[in-house]
Amino acid sequence: MTRFIFAAALVAFFTVPAHADDAFAAANQQYVTGDFAKAAETYEELAKWGPGRSAPLFYNLGNTYFHLHDFGRAILNYERALSLEPNHPEAQTNLSVARDEAHALELAPTWRDSFVHFARPNQYAIGACVLFWIGAILLAIIGGRRPRRPLLTFLGLLCLGATALLVFLVYAIENGPRGARLAIVSRGETEARLATADTAANVLTLPPGSELKIEEQRGEWAYAFLPNGMHGWVPLRTIDFVRL
Amino acid sequence: MFRAGLTVLKAPLVTLFAAIALAQSATAATPSVTAVLSNSSVAVGQAVEMQIRVSGGGATVPRDIAVDGLEIHQTGTSSQIEMQNFDISQKVTYSYTILPLKSGTFRIPPQTVKVGGSSLRTPELELTVTAGSSSGSMNSGHGNAPTGQRQNAKLAFAEILVTKPTAYVGEIVPVEVRLAFYSHARARLVEGPEIPSQGFTMQKLQAPDQPRMETISGNPYQVLTFKTAIAGARPGKFEIGPVQAGAIMIVPRQPGSRPRSSSPFDLFNLDDPFSDPFFTDPYSALGQQEKITLKSEPASVEVKPLPPNAPPSFAGAVGNFSLHVDANPKSVQVGDPITVTATISGRGNFDRVTAPALPDAKGWHSYPPSSKFKQDDDIGISGSKSFDVVLSPNERKDSIPPLEFSYFDPVSEKYVSLKSSAIPIHVEGEAPAAASPAASVQSSAAPAAAPSATPQVSAKPGEILSQLDERPLGAGSFTPLFLTKNFWLAQLVPLFVVIGLLIWRRQTARRRNASAVRIAALHREADDLRRKLRRDDSRPADFFADASRAIQIKTALMSNTDPERIDAAAAAKVLRADQNADERIRRIFDRRDELRYSGSSNGFDLLGPDEREQLIQFVEELAR
Repeated sequence: MTRFIFAAALVAFFTVPAHADDAFAAANQQYVTGDFAKAAETYEELAKWGPGRSAPLFYNLGNTYFHLHDFGRAILNYERALSLEPNHPEAQTNLSVARDEAHALELAPTWRDSFVHFARPNQYAIGACVLFWIGAILLAIIGGRRPRRPLLTFLGLLCLGATALLVFLVYAIENGPRGARLAIVSRGETEARLATADTAANVLTLPPGSELKIEEQRGEWAYAFLPNGMHGWVPLRTIDFVRL
Repeated sequence: MFRAGLTVLKAPLVTLFAAIALAQSATAATPSVTAVLSNSSVAVGQAVEMQIRVSGGGATVPRDIAVDGLEIHQTGTSSQIEMQNFDISQKVTYSYTILPLKSGTFRIPPQTVKVGGSSLRTPELELTVTAGSSSGSMNSGHGNAPTGQRQNAKLAFAEILVTKPTAYVGEIVPVEVRLAFYSHARARLVEGPEIPSQGFTMQKLQAPDQPRMETISGNPYQVLTFKTAIAGARPGKFEIGPVQAGAIMIVPRQPGSRPRSSSPFDLFNLDDPFSDPFFTDPYSALGQQEKITLKSEPASVEVKPLPPNAPPSFAGAVGNFSLHVDANPKSVQVGDPITVTATISGRGNFDRVTAPALPDAKGWHSYPPSSKFKQDDDIGISGSKSFDVVLSPNERKDSIPPLEFSYFDPVSEKYVSLKSSAIPIHVEGEAPAAASPAASVQSSAAPAAAPSATPQVSAKPGEILSQLDERPLGAGSFTPLFLTKNFWLAQLVPLFVVIGLLIWRRQTARRRNASAVRIAALHREADDLRRKLRRDDSRPADFFADASRAIQIKTALMSNTDPERIDAAAAAKVLRADQNADERIRRIFDRRDELRYSGSSNGFDLLGPDEREQLIQFVEELAR
C-alpha cells in the first residue's frame, strides 16, 4: 500500500508540470494562430489551477486580452505577472501601454510606498526571521550571565529592533495600496458610489484597469480607497483582486 | 397651617381670577382682525406661514383656504391674555401654512372671521412665488396635509411635516420632525427621533438648539423641531415614518397611589390629564418618572420619475444651480497642469452634483477632480460645491474649452444645461513629435474618462505583444511567504536551538549555584571550628575531632573535593606540608581516631594547655 502511494505521488509529481507545459504550449499556439478567445480560455484554465500559475502565463494572458481590447483584464493579468515577478520587464512595459489605452487610474503612491518597496515582502520576511533568531540566540547565550556582556546584549537587542522594523515594513506593504487588497476594475467602466445602491451618488467613474484598494466587503459591494483619494462603494462583480 | 390654608384657597382664587379675566375680555374693546404673511416672496415648494390675528376673544375661522396654485391649511392656534391699565384683552392667533405649487403672484382673498356675534374680514394678502430657489429660510409648519396627528389630550406627541406631497426622483424635500411636550411636565428626550424610510435617501437629522414654546390647542407645549431632507431614490408612492422617539417625563402619580384632588379646570370631570393639579403646582405632590414612546403618523410622498432625454452631462442633480469656472495659472508650458475650479451654487441634491464635464477634451489630459462643499443651511440642501479639476494641455492651446453641467429643474420640469465660457490661456512649447498610443486613443475616447498618471510609452501595441514560450519549473504563488505553513514549520529549527540553549544555560547556572553553596557552607563550618577550638572546656576527643575537621575543610576548599574523603596524607600533600608539619597533621588525625574509637581515655590529662595552644596555632596557620 505504501509503495502504491509513493508511486502515485511520483507519477503526479512528474505529470503535473508536463500537463501544465502542454496546456501552456497549446494556448501559445492558439495565440499565434490568432484565436485569441480560445487562447484566453486555455490560459484562464491554467491560471485557475495552482501549479500552472507563473509570471509568463499571466503576461501571455494579459497580451491575449490586449488583443481582444479587454484592457481591464489585460491590466489585471499584467499586474498579476508583476506580483509574481516584480521585475518582469515586458509586463511592466505592456502594463504602462495598456493603462494609457484604457485611461486607467492608478492609486497615488505615498512617500511611505517609495521607502517600503525597497525590497519585496518575502525578502523582508526572511530578513526579519534571520535577525530575530540571531537576536534570540544571542540573548539566550547571554541570559543570566554575570557580569553581562554589553556588546552581545546590544547586538541582540539591535537584531530584535531590526526585526520589528522589517515586520512593520511587511505590514505596511501588505496593507498599503499595492498590498493584499489591491483590486483592478476588470469588467469595463464602473462607478464608485457613496452607498451600496446603484442609484447612490457617484463618487468617481473608474475606467477599466483602474486600481482600487478594497477595505471592506458587504454583500455584493466592496468599500474601496479610490485613485482620487476618496472612498466609495463599487460592485464586486466589476473588480478582481490581483492576488489569487 | 397658613400654607394649608393657602392651598385650600388657591383653587377658588384662580377660578375667580379667570372669571374676572373672561368677563373683562368680554367687555373689552371691539374685536378686530388682521392677517400677515411671514414672507411675501418665496420660491415654489417653499412653505410660508400666514397668521390671522384676532383680538377680542376666540373666533371661528376657515380651516382651509382655497387659492389656485397654493395649498393652505390651518396648522395651529395660540392665544394670549394682555392686561394694560386694568384693561384685559385676549388675542388669538390662527396659523396657516401655505405651500406654493407654482410660480406667479397670488392674492389670498379676504377671509370671514366670526368673533362673538360679529363677522369681520381679513385684508387681502399678496404672495409672490418665484420659480427659482429663494434665499429665505424654510418655514416650519406642514404643507400639503398635516401628516402628523396631534392628539390634544396627550402630554406629548410627535409629528412629521413634509413640505411637498410630490417630488421628482432625486429632488430634495425638506422634512421637519416635531416633538411636543406639555410645558409643565418636565420631559427629557432619551431616544431618537428615528425616521424609518424606504425608497428615500435622507440627510442627517439636525437637532434643535433650544426647544420653542408654542400654544397648541390652547395648551402650552415645548416643541423640539428636528430638520432633515429626503430625496426619492426611485419612482413610486412611499411612506416616511412613523417617527418614533423615547422620552422620560415626570407625570402625576397613578390614581391608585395617590388620591387625586379635583381640579377647578376639570369642571365636567372629564379626567383631562392637563387638569391634574400636579401641573399647576408640581410641588404640591410628588410626580413619578415614566418612559413614554412618541409615535407620529406616517407621511406619504409621491416620487415621480425624471423625464427622458436627459443631456449627456446629466448625473442626477435636481434643483436649481448656477455654474462659475475659473482657471489658474493661465500661462503654462505644454504638459504643465492647470487647475480649473468649477463652483456650482444653488439649492438641490448636492450629493448628486458631480464635476462639470469637458465635452471637447481633444489635446487635454484631465485628472480626477477633488471637491469640497460649503453648505448655507442646516441640512445641506443649499450651498456651493467647488471642484478642482487638473487639466494638462498636450499641445498649444489658446483657451480652456467650456465645461458643461446639467441638472433637472423641478419647478420648470425641464433639464437645464449650464455651459461656462471658454477661458483664454497661453500655452507655450511644442507637442511631442510622435503621438503615443494613449494620446491617439484619448482623442476618440469618451471625454469623461480620466487618463492614467503613468508616463506615456511610445511603443505600439503590435510590437509589444509577443508571447513568452518558456514556463518556469516551479509554480508561482501569490501567498506571501509568511502566510505559508512551511515558513512557520521552518521556524521550529531555530526555536529548538534557542530552547536547547536556554536549557543548557539553566543547568550550568544550577550547577554553579550548587558549588557556590557548598563552598560557602565549608567556609562557615571552618569559622565555627576555629571558634570551637578556642574554647578551653572542650574535651580532648572533641578538640582533636574539630582540629582534624578544620584541616580537612581547608584541604577540601583548596582541592575542591569532599572533606570526608581527606586523610592525613592527602591533607599534607595538598597543603604542601614540610616534614614537621606532616608529622603534626598525622598525629592530630591519629589522636582523633584513637580518642574516637579506643574509648580508653576521656580525661583532660591527655592534652595539656600548652600543647592545646600549640595545636591551635598550627591549625590556624594551616587554615590561612
